[in-house]
Amino acid sequence: MTVFYTMTTDQDLLMDGPAATSVIAAKGIDLTPNKDQGVIKVVQCPGFDVERPMIGDRVTVHYTGRLLTGKKFDCSRERKEPFSFNAGKGQVLKSWDIGVLSMQRGEVCTLLCKPEYAYGSAGNPDKIPPNASVVFEMELLSFEGESLTDDGGVVRRIKIKGEGYSQPNDGASVDVYLEGRCDGRLFDSRNVSFIVGEAEDKGVPLGVDRAMDKMQKGECCLLYLKPKYGFGSKGKAEYKIGPDRDIVYEVTLKDFRRAKESWEMDIYEKVNLAPGVKNKGNQYFKTGQYHQAVIQYQRIISWLEMECGTGIEQHQRIQEFVLTAHLNLALCFLRLKDFSHVVDNCNKVLELDENNEKAFYRRGEARLYRNEFGLAKEDFQKVLQVNPANQAARTQILICQNKIKEHHEQDKKIYANMFQKFAEQDAKVCKLSVLDWKDKEEAGRHCEDHRERGVGH
Amino acid sequence: MALERFSNVVQLCQALPESRYTAEHHDSFTAAGRACIQEGHCNDVLSILLDEKNQDTVSCMGWTLLPPLIQLLLKKEDQNLPRWAAIFTHLLETCRPKELLIGLLEQLEHSDPHTAAESLHLLLKPLQKVLLRLGSRKASSLGMTLSSVLDQLIKLPLPLTKEQEETDEFSVCRCCIELADFVRPFFQEARQSLSSRSDRDCGLEDELRAELLKFCMKTLSHLLLEVQLRGPDELTESALRTFATHILDGLASVGEHLHSLVFQPVLKRKQVPGFLEEEVRYPKASLASVAHLVFVHHLAADRFPSIFSPVFCLRCNMEHVFLLLSSTEDPKLQKGLELYEESLVRLEDGSLPADLLQIRTFLTVPQNMVKVMTLCPRHDLRTKGLKVFQLSIEKFDTEAKYRLFQYILRTSNHSGVEGYIIKNIRTQIHVALQVRPRSFSFSAALTSN
Repeated sequence: MTVFYTMTTDQDLLMDGPAATSVIAAKGIDLTPNKDQGVIKVVQCPGFDVERPMIGDRVTVHYTGRLLTGKKFDCSRERKEPFSFNAGKGQVLKSWDIGVLSMQRGEVCTLLCKPEYAYGSAGNPDKIPPNASVVFEMELLSFEGESLTDDGGVVRRIKIKGEGYSQPNDGASVDVYLEGRCDGRLFDSRNVSFIVGEAEDKGVPLGVDRAMDKMQKGECCLLYLKPKYGFGSKGKAEYKIGPDRDIVYEVTLKDFRRAKESWEMDIYEKVNLAPGVKNKGNQYFKTGQYHQAVIQYQRIISWLEMECGTGIEQHQRIQEFVLTAHLNLALCFLRLKDFSHVVDNCNKVLELDENNEKAFYRRGEARLYRNEFGLAKEDFQKVLQVNPANQAARTQILICQNKIKEHHEQDKKIYANMFQKFAEQDAKVCKLSVLDWKDKEEAGRHCEDHRERGVGH
Repeated sequence: MALERFSNVVQLCQALPESRYTAEHHDSFTAAGRACIQEGHCNDVLSILLDEKNQDTVSCMGWTLLPPLIQLLLKKEDQNLPRWAAIFTHLLETCRPKELLIGLLEQLEHSDPHTAAESLHLLLKPLQKVLLRLGSRKASSLGMTLSSVLDQLIKLPLPLTKEQEETDEFSVCRCCIELADFVRPFFQEARQSLSSRSDRDCGLEDELRAELLKFCMKTLSHLLLEVQLRGPDELTESALRTFATHILDGLASVGEHLHSLVFQPVLKRKQVPGFLEEEVRYPKASLASVAHLVFVHHLAADRFPSIFSPVFCLRCNMEHVFLLLSSTEDPKLQKGLELYEESLVRLEDGSLPADLLQIRTFLTVPQNMVKVMTLCPRHDLRTKGLKVFQLSIEKFDTEAKYRLFQYILRTSNHSGVEGYIIKNIRTQIHVALQVRPRSFSFSAALTSN
């Protein structure tokens, strides 16, 4: 199959430029919306799927680019790596966006592109002369919806592209039209306005909220939401949705008004608005909406962490806000079982206040969950140093001690078995491996000793 | 006498197992051994160290002899240099890698700018040898070494002109070549581990890649951003250009795509505020340096796909340009202007829509340009700034020009710049009055203001 289409392409191009162009123009389809012959496609090998990529989809292709002279200027196969990009978003040449959206999975085609849809009158200083038509051979290997979050919990596919480079930020007010479906059944259909970060107040799930800052005005897209970003393990009775269901929302962003960014606000605005944001966060925390609470507390930090304030009093107020926000975040992340973020936030608190009881306690809890028993015990001991009356910390220390003992027992069992195995094998092998460990240990110890003794300058 | 003492302590240790060496043994060995070296007893020291019976002692304590030995080797005056070199080699092969590393790095860190180049020249190969002996546990040691090596390299005065690069008076170019040789096997290891991923090694190999990435990023921001690279038409063979290419190749070895790095400002997902993990891993200055090397110097061109839209490239590069033009250092300003110019020339005149002005950098970069044009002490940079500024104006469509002019008139606070803008407005009105039909009434919009 590979040989087939390469030969065909080369044959077409063995003729000189104008001849090749007219051959492709005769055989091919004009893909341009206004039919100006700017992008003409010849299918070399049809795809094996009816579906075509949607705007925003992450598509993966192999391609070869040539001038009309036949000279190759770019080839992904030579790099031995397929190329991925988001289709229809203006990341690539116009001809590519138009071309790839017309292809099917597995399709191989040739695109003849006029300069207006390729490198224009400027060309590409490196490789392409001005006003050059070019030919791309493309193979569409795969495509999938665009993942908007790191965990793949929100995947977007765009039906209608929006416009403009401005997007809703946290705090922006948006006007949307929603259609929510579960297993194809429509359960929610309405026009609604909400504040980004606070969609929960209008019964709009987290996934839709988090997608807002990637949407353009006028965009209509499908959002595929995993339960974490939908209705979670509680489900939603009034929509008759059970626990842990995937849902799909079709969202049209009709209009929005951005909120001021941190750098657009002066210190007074921020200090005035911070208490309100903190309360909002606290509200969400009380009702168990930890993701939403996190968003509010993080807003405070993004506003204030770099601010010094204009006087001692204001500076202290700012520090307090930031410290409390980090402490609250630590607690939220504990509930969300996101332990590394707990530790990060506690560390930030301790940078500001090195004897913060709550920070030590919460960090200890996180470390306990991560089975870092030694470190956890240290943290709880610090809690007692700061506040000897903290009974909870004493209990935690006992738990740590028990866990440490348990693990030592386990380790002993494991190593006992290991030694057993070694002993049954070659006795010399056993001796060498023990010595190796001891060797490393001692090298480490010697280094420490030498450094401490001040050997060297 | 030092030689006697050294001989004695070595004989004492011969009889004991390693675990019975005391602090006195260590101290005697070190003091006596160093004195012997300083007194020049190379033959005797060599024969003691090579003696079969002393190998355990040497492997345990030999590394402490490095400081005076390296000082000697650096001076290069001694006629017994080959003997000292032989002692050095023997120690490198016999002593424990981690201890050798400490000894070598301590010597490296103590060099001043005058001796930095010579220290690097002497110590890079030994460091490489020692690190390779560490096998799969080398990652953190490699990281520490690369950091120290770079710190020394950065101390050296960089060549400012083509002639200075050719004469290489301060050996910067030579050091870069030697550094590239130094890292080569480690990049190779990273490349191989990437192509044959096995779950078992994932942790260790990830660490290695992370350290190499850190090294590339630091080199890009601290060294390559400061130096001026010469193109092939100016300087056919350029050690610095080759070095820069090696660094870009190195990024590929650790699995980073150049286009992902350059376009990261626009393509990355939203970051949680306060947790700048991505910013630490991919410092903005380093990314700007990559963009400059790729777009202005066309390095690693075959690895950078040429199918990105020029407008998209501009959008991403604006972030890098903003960073560079916010600096007060001439090399960075120059690179900012060059990157901006290179991104603009690929566009058609009048093709950028007013929508783009919604993006913050499209307003902050012109502000920075105004600063360069009016405040930069260097005349050639001010001139270039003006040239690129005018070029940027040409690329916007009529509506965008109008908005941009408004913005600059409002924010520049400089009569010269205002005058320049007004001149541009006159040109636009002239053009608008001549073209029929008028798609956007420039003069009408202006008079309504």
